[in-house]
Amino acid sequence: MAATARCLESQFRLPQPAIPVLVPPLQPVDSGVFEAVQALKKAHRLSSGSELIEALERRRRDKIVPTTLAAIDILLDGGLPRGKMTEISGRGARFPVVVATLASATSIGEAAALIDIGDAFDPQIGQAAGIDLDRMLWVRPKKLKEAVTAAEMLVATGFQLVVLDTGLPPLRGRVPDAAWVRLARAAEAHGSALLVSAPYPITGTTSEAMLRAETARGRWSGGLLIGIETTMRLEKHRRKRPGQHARLAFEVAERT
Amino acid sequence: MFPLAARLRSEPELLQEAVAIVEGNGNNAHVVTATRRARTKGVRGGMSLAQARSIVPKLIARGRDAACEHTAQDALLEVGETFSPRVEDASDGLVFVDISGTERHYASEEELAKAAIRALDAIALPARVGIAASKLASRVAAELPQTPTVVPPGEEAKFLAPLPLARLSPALEAAAMLQRFGLESIGDLARLPESEIASRLGELGRELHFAARGVDPRPLIPRALPPDFREGMELEWPLVALEPFLFIANAALDRLSKRMEVQGFACKRIELTLTLEPDGYDARAIDLPAPTRDVKTMLTLIRLDLEKRAPGAPVIGFTCVAHPDRPRRAQLSLFGPAALSPERLATTIARLISMLGEGRVGMPVTVDGYLPERHAVGDFAPPPPPDTRRTPPRARGLLAGRTFRPPIPVEVITEGDKIASLRGENIEGTVRVCSGPWRIEEGWWRDAPAQREYWDVELWGGGIYRVYQAAANNDWFVDARFGV
Repeated sequence: MAATARCLESQFRLPQPAIPVLVPPLQPVDSGVFEAVQALKKAHRLSSGSELIEALERRRRDKIVPTTLAAIDILLDGGLPRGKMTEISGRGARFPVVVATLASATSIGEAAALIDIGDAFDPQIGQAAGIDLDRMLWVRPKKLKEAVTAAEMLVATGFQLVVLDTGLPPLRGRVPDAAWVRLARAAEAHGSALLVSAPYPITGTTSEAMLRAETARGRWSGGLLIGIETTMRLEKHRRKRPGQHARLAFEVAERT
Repeated sequence: MFPLAARLRSEPELLQEAVAIVEGNGNNAHVVTATRRARTKGVRGGMSLAQARSIVPKLIARGRDAACEHTAQDALLEVGETFSPRVEDASDGLVFVDISGTERHYASEEELAKAAIRALDAIALPARVGIAASKLASRVAAELPQTPTVVPPGEEAKFLAPLPLARLSPALEAAAMLQRFGLESIGDLARLPESEIASRLGELGRELHFAARGVDPRPLIPRALPPDFREGMELEWPLVALEPFLFIANAALDRLSKRMEVQGFACKRIELTLTLEPDGYDARAIDLPAPTRDVKTMLTLIRLDLEKRAPGAPVIGFTCVAHPDRPRRAQLSLFGPAALSPERLATTIARLISMLGEGRVGMPVTVDGYLPERHAVGDFAPPPPPDTRRTPPRARGLLAGRTFRPPIPVEVITEGDKIASLRGENIEGTVRVCSGPWRIEEGWWRDAPAQREYWDVELWGGGIYRVYQAAANNDWFVDARFGV
């Protein structure tokens, strides 16, 4: 006799056993990395891993650190050259350029250091300007000699961007010219971009490029300070004709 | 010889001198051991210091230094641990190492022994090495003048047989008694019936007979890894100046650094204990910003700490304890920005802190509040860089002002509710444009809340300043300048 089995409403269904997977699915290769390798192989006709590493190191050194301020990047042919020293001097808006450069470097994951003799940096404004504070080392020496020593140590440590801001005049202490030569050589040896910001030119002939910031004027609207305007002039560049200038405007953080 | 080796490790400049290690004071001082130069002239262990000086008038006498011997023993153990994880501390310059399983690393046991001697030479500890299947045989082999001595397995009894009985247990009177029985060598003892020896000398005789036959059932007892590394010494004369002390501390830190390197550690914290004259101690702990083995950094931090808080009495001894930690490691990126080497970064930060002071190096940290000068500094530990290179976003073009810390007091002339002119340190001029006031209040629940009225002013001669008047005392300050 045959009986038909029926599934009653009150009966529970047994869960289906999970099918064991012996090999987990492979992670897809990051297309960005793959494409980067392909592009490099094509461009440099690479045949081995060591050639690839050498090509990457060359490319890393050839690159520049953009300030992301269009006017200054045009004056400096794209930004701060790596392995070289760039100087900004004058009574104009140097500090906003310093902050923008730090924001540019840290936003792409590079380690940057600010040597701030005047203890003038405001972390709140820095963060608002786009600096990734986790990647920025803030060093606050009291004298110029300490600052130059710190810059040399940081360059040798491998920081991709080191900014030395001497603050407002008068400068606190002096260093011999040879110290700047030594610092420039350290930057060249380690491929760091070095930016020196000072009220008047101090690096002499060692800098790759020199910008002069002219006195800034305030922009007022309805009785409120909304920003400043300044002019940057290219005083010296090893690969460009000096004398070019560009106007720059910065806006007050609260009004933006 | 171990007390001498330990002392010469701390004072390597005495290596070529006639030096004697002495025990006891005054007329009771007697020579424990002496350098080869002193021994060739006739100085022997057990002589009184006066006798030794009558032979070698320029003999340099050094007392036994427990701290030196302790650290030398530690160094010896640490070198042993680079060859095998099973190392027994037998004290007084004797270490047993279980080398079973290391055959594939060295061509022969003799090569291993030579490698050990080289490793000990590198830390300024001359050593002898013996390899055998039992602790007793290996100890006797290591005591022989020709080094290294390797005893093939199963030939312990044959190796021991021709040696004098005193080698079995030099400190034991039983050996002398056996010699009086007419026994000259270990082999003579081994040939006698065990029961006869046991009936005359008891349990001790039985043990000696076992040892003479090369039977040593004692197992190797491995030591537990110590939680810290220690170096120190007792000084011959009290030090009152900092520089001579740092000179000696530098050598001790150098030894510590080498020992930590052998174990793959770096120093996270240094504890310095100074023994003061006439009595008392000065203990201090110095935390390093990150694990490091850089001697210069550690020495600078010790110097700063001693300058900040002097011990207040001459120093006659010191102990330096390094708390180990693993050095930071990071995976470097191929296509993204180059990552900083964690160890190098730690050393740089430690050096910068030692040069500039605590709180002047670190990661800027934002702080909740309203006062413009607020800021904090945290430990700098950057996250790993991204795997691929990115393009930076366009700058916002924000006006970043220079904050004055502390604010600069100024004299202000007002006309109505506007500021007419400013005068202060490096600030002077007539106001061209002025806007304000904006009121800021912070910490109203405190006894002295911060209440300020702010103005933005631009001077005719150039310069845009942020000026405020403190409500507490109506004083005026400039706390920032824009456009410079």
